[in-house]
Amino acid sequence: MNKLNWLSILILLLILAMSLTHTVSAHRVHVESQINEIQIKSWYGGGESIEKADVKVYTIENGKEEIYIEGTTDEDGAYNFSPKMGVSEYRVVVKSDGHRGDKTINLSDTGLPEQNNEDPIYTKIISGFGYLAGLAGAGMLYMNWKRYNKGEEKNN
Amino acid sequence: MVHISDGVLSFPVVAFGWVLSFIIIGVTLWWSEKHGDIAEQIPKLSVITAAFFVASLIHIPLGFTSVHLMLNGIVGVILGILSFPAIFTGVSLQAFLFQHGGVTTIGINTVILGIPALISYGIFKTGVKRLPFRNKIESLFGGISGGFAVIISVVFLVFSFMLTGEELTTPASLIAIGHIPIMIIEGLVAVSIVAFLLKVKPELLPVKGGGKNE
Repeated sequence: MNKLNWLSILILLLILAMSLTHTVSAHRVHVESQINEIQIKSWYGGGESIEKADVKVYTIENGKEEIYIEGTTDEDGAYNFSPKMGVSEYRVVVKSDGHRGDKTINLSDTGLPEQNNEDPIYTKIISGFGYLAGLAGAGMLYMNWKRYNKGEEKNN
Repeated sequence: MVHISDGVLSFPVVAFGWVLSFIIIGVTLWWSEKHGDIAEQIPKLSVITAAFFVASLIHIPLGFTSVHLMLNGIVGVILGILSFPAIFTGVSLQAFLFQHGGVTTIGINTVILGIPALISYGIFKTGVKRLPFRNKIESLFGGISGGFAVIISVVFLVFSFMLTGEELTTPASLIAIGHIPIMIIEGLVAVSIVAFLLKVKPELLPVKGGGKNE
């Protein structure tokens, strides 16, 4: 009786163990990573996004560029595309009525995307005014110098 | 719109833009030096160029395309033939500071904006000379010239694309329609500026009894 009990417990455990383990087949395991989508965003200086711009994506393989996919941006200036398997470098060209921008994307570059170091627009406006004031000053100096020279000539 | 970026136009069009703008800058500077004193114009030149430089930041989104103020007609009316070098300076600053239009295309962009400015000046001057009524007609012609420059710029723009064979994302007709509000706004701005200057400082305008840069 005792023997039978032990045996039944053993069988029960065996069944449990078998039902809990997964079948493992002895094959080689392949792991590939895939980024499913790359989103690009385009905007004009000043921050307004470029709607319905033509987008052309080129793959860069061994330094050779090849057209991969074409499309247009949505109302937020965004465009999504799935990368080609095995290609990590892309060049994206965005064109809209004579405006054009391009960017090379490298997926193997890990880390955060580049920081946007653009100066705020008002600093640019002020520096533009500065340049103009400088130009005006230089122009006036030149004119004065010319006038002064003319006066000297007359005096002689 | 209107400011063309790098790498859009073909090389001959870009080169043509540079050559033509340098020729016109040379001729206009020589002419105004001969027929007046540029030194007297410099403060006016730099103030108007500053206004032109900032105007391109005022965008008007229209859904299918985005347009911005140009002010080239008004620059033409106030600065006369010196508007061309002024626009060259403004376009260069816009390209370097705002990345508004490309650096290689400064030449062609100056032509696209500057020649209409010269034409506006021509319209304003002949219009004011021919007609007997003062003040009101001057402001009216200021407005017409201000608006007209926008249309000529758009025509030049489309033409430079056609020369390159580049297809536009927005059809030319839509670009023209999109610029109608700009044309009206600039026309109104020009009317008020001319009317204001006539009252306050008529010598700033290149009309009889006014400036010396005729």
